[in-house]
Amino acid sequence: MNALFAIEWLKIKRYRTFWVLACLFLLLLPLWNFEVASGLIKLGGGGKNGINFLSTAYSFPQVWGNLGFWGSIFIMFISILVIIITTNEYGFRTNRQNVIDGWSKMQFYHAKVILVIIFSFLSTIYLFALGIIFGGINSGSLSGLFNEFQQVAYFFLLSLDYLGFALFIALWIRKSGLAIGLFLLYSMIIENILKGIINHYTDMPFGNLLPLQASDELLPFPLMQMAKAMMPMISTISMTNYSVATICWCLIYYFAGRTILLRNDW
Amino acid sequence: MPPILSIQHISKSYGPIQALKDISFDVPEGCVFGILGPNGSGKTTLLGIVLDVLLANTGSYSWFGGMENSSARKQIGALLETPNFYHYLSAFHNLEITAAIKQRGMDDRVRVLRQVGLFERRDSKFQTFSLGMKQRLAIGAALLGNPKILVLDEPTNGLDPAGIAEIRDLIRKLNKEGITIIIASHLLDEIEKVCTHVAILKTGRLLLHGPVDEALRSEDQIEVKAPDIERLQQTLQNMAGIKKMKLADGTLQLTCDTNIQPIQINEFCIGNGIVLSHLLMKKKSLETKFMELTNN
Repeated sequence: MNALFAIEWLKIKRYRTFWVLACLFLLLLPLWNFEVASGLIKLGGGGKNGINFLSTAYSFPQVWGNLGFWGSIFIMFISILVIIITTNEYGFRTNRQNVIDGWSKMQFYHAKVILVIIFSFLSTIYLFALGIIFGGINSGSLSGLFNEFQQVAYFFLLSLDYLGFALFIALWIRKSGLAIGLFLLYSMIIENILKGIINHYTDMPFGNLLPLQASDELLPFPLMQMAKAMMPMISTISMTNYSVATICWCLIYYFAGRTILLRNDW
Repeated sequence: MPPILSIQHISKSYGPIQALKDISFDVPEGCVFGILGPNGSGKTTLLGIVLDVLLANTGSYSWFGGMENSSARKQIGALLETPNFYHYLSAFHNLEITAAIKQRGMDDRVRVLRQVGLFERRDSKFQTFSLGMKQRLAIGAALLGNPKILVLDEPTNGLDPAGIAEIRDLIRKLNKEGITIIIASHLLDEIEKVCTHVAILKTGRLLLHGPVDEALRSEDQIEVKAPDIERLQQTLQNMAGIKKMKLADGTLQLTCDTNIQPIQINEFCIGNGIVLSHLLMKKKSLETKFMELTNN
């Protein structure tokens, strides 16, 4: 596993696109949250004198769910990075060359899977560090740091879900432009259409269990949680079930990707 | 000695197009094995299958008498179809990845870059290379870590005449060192000059295979010339063992029995008072043979 990642690292450490997208994620996520926390961005509307609903959500324990929600949007940068790194292999035909040089097809695949897991893990660590900083400053102390801490684990699951889905799309489509386009279309439009249709015709909101939506449900828009808490909901799906659904989707991506690679010519 | 590569009944189709039909042959250790065929005959498909990047519909193959395939490939240096490298990395850093996958030392990179004449350009990005330089880098990558087998698919693509001669010399030199070389080409000249064994493919069928001498054995021709060509022709008509005679461009082309060698012809002519100005034993060229074989 170490050897696979070491070689994967050789491929990306001198790749400028990798550094640009990774740095955009690392810079923009705290900058955005800093502006929301300090009221420079007002999500309540109403111009300069408007109310900022979210500025109170940066102390413990709300900071985890709040940062997690924004992280779920900014993880797009890393998802696109995964697609680019993977489709590059097809563009350069280095997927073939890696195998010709002595990797098995599964080693090539697992190197990419390991990359997805490591990116997810590092993103989660980064979110955790940002949470300590924002939460510490706004709460004035670190007490209560571990309240609602499961939301950090949710973010790890969400990252795995997004990056795993991105890897699957890249292996399936092979062309970088088309893969990125399809990924964005699905995550922003197609899934919402499907969700709307399914939820309209079912008693339980089963549409929320779609691939990316399942993990989005783990970290909803912070105000939604408050709204949900106030409203008597008829039927909902528990966080445990969303977690299980997310893990199931990750396994499905893994096995579907494996099947695609083993059944096709390279 | 077991064959270094054994191919058994391999077939492969791309949709309705049958790219390979029941191909079987062995590659003996230490030879230079040429896979020859016109464009689209299935050479690259066959090599892609034995290098595990393409899937055969039926059939099997084994390297080194049955070694696990990915371990075997680590001891094979291969160039398939195009030079495949990371465009944004330098030659040196690309070879770092090749060496890491092959589990070879990084220090060998300098040697192979010198061998293919790219040492001075080692820090240039792959995307800045010309076609010939890309091809040289691919050959360099194949040489990394002294492989036991080299698989070269159209190795002289994009090379200038000096480069082609260098590769030919390199192939001979490496073969002398005991490395088995499998080379696919549509350039007959390339194969004829270096190969000891040959397999000829046409539209996915194996026409013939074996040692070059046997596979391409054909009636040799002897060319003769004399100042008085008509008298020479009349004289030779009386010689036993000459099956056919053809006059072309002032040269007599003789097709003889196998026991007739140039020495007998020379003796016969001198005995009849004719001094030859030209006497040449000509093996039927591979090109002629190839054309005969592939043109139905």
